[in-house]
Parts: sequence; C-alpha cells; structure tokens
Amino acid sequence: MQLHVKLFAMLQEQLGDVIVVSVPEQPTADQIKQAIADASPNLRQVIGTARIAVNQEFTASGPLDVGTDDEIALIPPVSGG
Amino acid sequence: MYYLNISDSPIDVDALYQKLKDPQYGGIVTFVGTVRQWTGDIETRFIDYSAYHPMAEKQLEKLAAPIEAKGARVVIAHRTGHLDLTDEAVFVGVAAAHRGDAFRWCEYLIDTLKKEVPIWKKETDTDAVRWGD
Repeated sequence: MQLHVKLFAMLQEQLGDVIVVSVPEQPTADQIKQAIADASPNLRQVIGTARIAVNQEFTASGPLDVGTDDEIALIPPVSGG
Repeated sequence: MYYLNISDSPIDVDALYQKLKDPQYGGIVTFVGTVRQWTGDIETRFIDYSAYHPMAEKQLEKLAAPIEAKGARVVIAHRTGHLDLTDEAVFVGVAAAHRGDAFRWCEYLIDTLKKEVPIWKKETDTDAVRWGD
C-alpha cells in the first residue's frame, strides 16, 4: 500500500511537503517511519524521534487501520512555546 | 468557554487578559513566552514558528477542555511566522475561583503545550540556524 505522509519543520524543509512510501497493510507507526527513513537515510535520526499522527491524532503502538484516504503525518519533536 | 488561537498576527496580551475576567473568578494567572536573545553563549537573531494547524488546534482543545470542565477559563494564543527579539510567541492564561488552581493549571498547560502541540521553532542564531530547543 502506498501512503502519502505529510512532513513538517526540518523534514519538510529537506524532503518537501509530502513523501510517498510503500508499507504493508495495517502498518505500525514504526513501519511507516522505517519506510521514510529508508528513503532518506541521512535524516534517520530525526525520523526516529518523530511520531506518526493519523487524521490529526497521535497514534498508539500496534497496527494502524489506515488507508489512502487517511491523513498521515510525521511529527518531529515539537518546540512551540 | 475557552479561547484558542494560532496565527501569524501579533499577540495582544491586553485583549487576551480581558477574556479571562469574570465575576466568578478570583485568580488569573498568565504566562507569556517571548523571544530571548541569549541562550548561554548562543545569540538568537530571530525565530520563525510553523504549525500543523488543524492538529495543533485540536491538541489545544484537548488540553483546554478538561480544565474548563473543572470550572476554569482557558485562553491560549500561539504566534506563527517571523518573530523578532522580545516578541510574544505564546500566551497561556487561566482564570479560576482561587489562585492555587490557576497557578497549577497555567503551568500544566504551557508544559504540556511544549510537548504535545505540533508547533516548531526555527531559530536563526548569529552562528547557525537551529530547529527546536
């Protein structure tokens, strides 16, 4: 399955607004992150510390029931305030 | 009812404070975060803030709603875009019946905002550009 993943902050600056990755059906957040890191190995460290959000909610561990209609985002460590 | 705002517009501290005033409250605590020049030996010139807007707004609602359910009022504003030294980046205000709750919840809100709300700062310092803290 191909997922379009929104990117933000330093990841958006380096890789653009969206990255398209191939993942298994019902991927875990770690599998999505792994696919993004494999496509951009020089950013592996920051991708590793990022979290996955689905439809604007942080995900828990375990398989994610996501499809191509869902809004997936990679959230690097936040720094507001 | 809480007031939450994330926008490029300058933060109007006085106007936000006015939203917290109400006869049922006897304590108002506000926190204002501003752009600091020095962090140790690092000198900041300016900061650009960006946000994942719809999610950031949802996350703020999740923070504010349980505190409002306890009878307090919450006002949070975060600025995005280009900020110069001394500009206000964030305003967090809580009005409660008594000061103890207002202090506690205001601190909880700013601490949690810094961990859970998808807003990022890109700091342009005199020696480098830095993302995050």
